[in-house]
Amino acid sequence: MIEAAAPIVVTSHLSKWYGQVIGLNDVTVTVPVGITGLLGPNGAGKSTFLKLITGQLKPNQGEIFILGERIWGNPALYVRIGFCPEQDAFYERMTGLEWVSALVRLNGAGEREADERAHRALEAVDLLDAAGKKIGAYSKGMRQRVKMAQALAHDPDLLILDEPLSGLDPIARRKTIRLVKEWARSGKSIIVSSHILHEIESMTSNILLINQGRIVAEGNVHQIRDLIDTHPHTVSIRADQPRALAREFLAADDVLSLRFEDGAIVVQTAKPDVFYARLTELAANGELGSIHEVTSPDDNLQAVFQYLVNT
Amino acid sequence: MLASSARVFDLSLGQMLWSRRSVFLGFLLGGPVLLAAAIRIVTATTPFWRFSVNGARVSGPGLFGMMMWLLYIRFIVPVLGVFYGTALIADEVDDKTITYLFTRPVRRGAVLLGKYLAYLACTTLLVLPSVVLVYFLIVPLGGGRVGELFPSLLGDLGMLVVGLAGYGAVFAWVGARLRRPLVIGLVFVLGWEPSILLFPGYLKRLTVAYYLQALVPHAMPQDSAIGVLMQVFREVPTIATSLLSLAIIIAVTLWSAVRAVEDREYVLDQ
Repeated sequence: MIEAAAPIVVTSHLSKWYGQVIGLNDVTVTVPVGITGLLGPNGAGKSTFLKLITGQLKPNQGEIFILGERIWGNPALYVRIGFCPEQDAFYERMTGLEWVSALVRLNGAGEREADERAHRALEAVDLLDAAGKKIGAYSKGMRQRVKMAQALAHDPDLLILDEPLSGLDPIARRKTIRLVKEWARSGKSIIVSSHILHEIESMTSNILLINQGRIVAEGNVHQIRDLIDTHPHTVSIRADQPRALAREFLAADDVLSLRFEDGAIVVQTAKPDVFYARLTELAANGELGSIHEVTSPDDNLQAVFQYLVNT
Repeated sequence: MLASSARVFDLSLGQMLWSRRSVFLGFLLGGPVLLAAAIRIVTATTPFWRFSVNGARVSGPGLFGMMMWLLYIRFIVPVLGVFYGTALIADEVDDKTITYLFTRPVRRGAVLLGKYLAYLACTTLLVLPSVVLVYFLIVPLGGGRVGELFPSLLGDLGMLVVGLAGYGAVFAWVGARLRRPLVIGLVFVLGWEPSILLFPGYLKRLTVAYYLQALVPHAMPQDSAIGVLMQVFREVPTIATSLLSLAIIIAVTLWSAVRAVEDREYVLDQ
């Protein structure tokens, strides 16, 4: 368990560049215990920041302390950290249970303990039924959840989730958000990245705003909430019955426009909270078939950042 | 470090055995067996035909020795070393699964060592049966006695394992250190080693094959151009020197590979 007042991440003048390209520029930040959202458009530096704080990259300048210790070249610290990366990469021939269990064994657990922990983690992400299936046969949502399971199976103090809701269906999203909140209530800390404000807001009000490699704002960013309401939010949905869903959406006041693109419905809404709540209800009652995937491009956030930079 | 390597070994061995690369390895190792079977069939169905090189008849054990040297030691073992050794970390990077290994309480060096041991086990498990099959198909030709020559087969098998260990370690280091390691590795084993071994001097000591050839227990055919060529190849150090040199090569290159992996950043394409 982490001491109450101790920050989980402290960076000082942290910079990282790849050749001529600056990934992160002079970032000094203190991340407190609890849930912290890392919000920024694609290419803003979120992944670089997460790779630095998970010790995958070495800073060119500055310092990083995770749970009070340096992370680069300090593998012992990973006992206390769980990382769920963004990339959709697995050992496809292994079953979910084999994979999670094998990774827990790397944490030093014996075979039996690793299997038990893997079971518990897969149960937590609602994937126990598919634990014996090969990962190669998993749906996008299942793959996302098994990634979460490997991150939390060893019961870390700090969970770092890179775009964990990406590609999940509405029900899986709701469950994941609930899981993250439960995890935080049990005294763990979580850093979760996203390019969608709505997603972050549903988990925490403590936000780090990142753009062009810099932290542009941090804390309880109400202004962003106001700004997002002035910019339409785009959502892409893949479902069994897109036309029936489209009819349902068009009847709603908050839907500004709707179009079909590559088999998906692309909706612009002025009230993302209302829209996502309705979408989750529709997915739960199943009257209009299954909703497989919900994604949102970062145009919305990019517009907000543009506004922030200009003002 | 060793306990962590053992855990990585457990995770990697199954992945390696069932990988596409092992299918390729299966084809590669099936070649000598098919060749041996073909020779055996031709010999059995054509009573007066005997395998010969430049008119000189070659006995079963002699032919087996040639196959060991030319096919396994000079081709299959180095090529396996290149393909597997350079890919120990590169495959995980290409598949973007390296993140899962590098965010565990395991030293990066232990990941490399565990994967190296998995390579050694995987290739040994696949190479040795192929050699044994070739042995039983070829040695009896011309009256060779399988039982009598069995100790030399054990020597061959041991030498193959040492060869796999040596080439694997060298190319694990090349893979950890350099970009485009596969190209460099193939140039090394198919260009540098065969050509430099033909010339007298000290440069051949910068090859793995130079030390490995001292461990070949077979007498090569003497009465042919190939025999002469073999003798040139067999300008070799003593067995003790070879074993010591190979042990040093393995230790130094593995240690360098571990250092390289521990210091290097792996930036995955998103």
